[in-house]
Amino acid sequence: MGRIKAIIVKEFYHILRDPRSLTMVFITPLVMIFILGYSVSYDLTRIDAAVIDLSQSRLSKQLVQAFAANRVFVVQTRGSAPGRTLSLGEAEEMLRRRKVKEIIIIPADLSRRLASGGQAEIGLVIDGSDTNIANLVYQYSERILLDFNAGLMGSEPLLKLDTKIYFNPETRSQFFFIPGLVAVILLMISAMLTSLSISRERESGSIALLFISPLRSREIIVGKTIPYTIVALLDGVVILLFARFWFGIPLRGSLLVLLLFALLYIVSGLALGILISTSAPTQRVAMLATLLSTMLPSFLLSGFIFPLDSLSPVLRAISYVIPATYFLRIIRGVVLKGAELQHFLFEGGMLIVLSMVLLAAATRKFNRQRKAAQ
Amino acid sequence: MSAAAPAIAVRDLCKNFGHFQAVKRISFEVAPGEIVGFLGPNGAGKTTTIKMITGLLKITSGAVLINGLDNREHLAAIKKKIGYMSQKFSLYHLLTAQENIEFFGGISGLAPRELKASVARMGEQVAAAVLRQKIQDVPPGIRQKVALFVCLLPEPEIILLDEPTSGVDPEARRLFWSEIYGLKKRGKTLLVSTHNLDEAEYCDRIIIIHNGEIVAAGAPDELLRQKGKASIEELFKDAIQEHGQD
Repeated sequence: MGRIKAIIVKEFYHILRDPRSLTMVFITPLVMIFILGYSVSYDLTRIDAAVIDLSQSRLSKQLVQAFAANRVFVVQTRGSAPGRTLSLGEAEEMLRRRKVKEIIIIPADLSRRLASGGQAEIGLVIDGSDTNIANLVYQYSERILLDFNAGLMGSEPLLKLDTKIYFNPETRSQFFFIPGLVAVILLMISAMLTSLSISRERESGSIALLFISPLRSREIIVGKTIPYTIVALLDGVVILLFARFWFGIPLRGSLLVLLLFALLYIVSGLALGILISTSAPTQRVAMLATLLSTMLPSFLLSGFIFPLDSLSPVLRAISYVIPATYFLRIIRGVVLKGAELQHFLFEGGMLIVLSMVLLAAATRKFNRQRKAAQ
Repeated sequence: MSAAAPAIAVRDLCKNFGHFQAVKRISFEVAPGEIVGFLGPNGAGKTTTIKMITGLLKITSGAVLINGLDNREHLAAIKKKIGYMSQKFSLYHLLTAQENIEFFGGISGLAPRELKASVARMGEQVAAAVLRQKIQDVPPGIRQKVALFVCLLPEPEIILLDEPTSGVDPEARRLFWSEIYGLKKRGKTLLVSTHNLDEAEYCDRIIIIHNGEIVAAGAPDELLRQKGKASIEELFKDAIQEHGQD
């Protein structure tokens, strides 16, 4: 009994005197429950829909109004030319650019069909690049149509949905998940490469020789970043080829465009790794911190699993500073929709900004740490 | 001691880690061209003191002057004058000897031509095959030789060697010290820490540090005569006992 007691007492000393263990025990669950509590939700707060009203009748306007009156739907009916309704081409381009999640097409013969006692089909074109959101959009649209049908007082539903899924017609979840996984893994690997490299130097003591050399901190960081950028980019190519040929994920856009954005994304990951390494005394801590700070936000807050529209405003704001949020849009867009460079100027710009901010923060912290020792 | 500014002047140097005082107001000087042995058991404060001299560790109080320049104010200039061989790490083990020379020469600002010449110079001292071996596969004696060579690449005036002979066999140690003598002949100043007391005989002067305090300092022969001891080991034991063992 005395021996067991000795172990119990010693373990308590370890737990109480190790701030990292205490943080892990008490703070991590709170952070996780906070993030998960707000992110594990499939309620959409906004569905942008393009409406092509070919009927332009009283009934079709009532139907458009039914969508517009719903707090979730934001309906767009106007085309780019003044006074013109949306064309299918314009609406499809909006779908490709993620400006809308669905296109609602009201047929020209809507009133005539109903007047003759028949049924009419309302066309629904949904962006299938995110299968979860596509299902939700369908469900929300169907609910509005059911309510509208109830108001028409027919013995059978007078309006039916004719649904088409674009970019992932079979709504294969792999098409949705694997590009997302590529994004998450690439960020994790990039950050891991630099965080381990610097903490390894710290652990072995070699960092002292770098510090004592005439090297400037930014020279150390640039020198560390460039080789790992190449390694991570090659890693990205391998992962993409594996996704393409093993899982059969299509590559409808340009590989070059994807790699260009991947390069920006990788730099943000490498900078994040350096930032993490400045606070990690050992490789083990660096690895754990990198896993937590890349995997958790990328899985939960980037739109990978849960739609960004379902996040609380605070978590949504956090999602804007997660590099995966932007690369996820890019990779899904290029891979599934065949989107091009000009479609992602904002996302690319954000990746540049995030990379610069992270690199500046990492250099500053690294430099401060170096000076603190002196 | 010459009239010129000491190569290294340590004045009332203290280092605290929280409540623990690792170095307690020590003062000493190293004259240009001198070999000074910094002797003491493990944990005596040798590495901490050397790290403060190099600027790698923040000084709690006191000062370090290198050629008369305070290392807190002129660190960039001082870095160009000093060479440091660390106790914990001196070479990248996954790199070959040649790659280590190229790396450390490169970060010291050596031109490609100078790097090539340096590799050739090292090649004259060790077998060519050794140059192409990973450092982890090279015997400790040769590893130390390469580490010292790398430390000397920027041609520093003042060389700080922290436990350079630990884990090295006696023959390799003897060879290592003959190289240190060679450096002295070239006018270099050397502060060499060691816990091998028999290495004191190689030094112009020795400083014995224990529990962060200097317990004896002077030329080895002079110290032995003053204290009436037959060996440095006896002198060391006596000095430690005088100051109380923690």
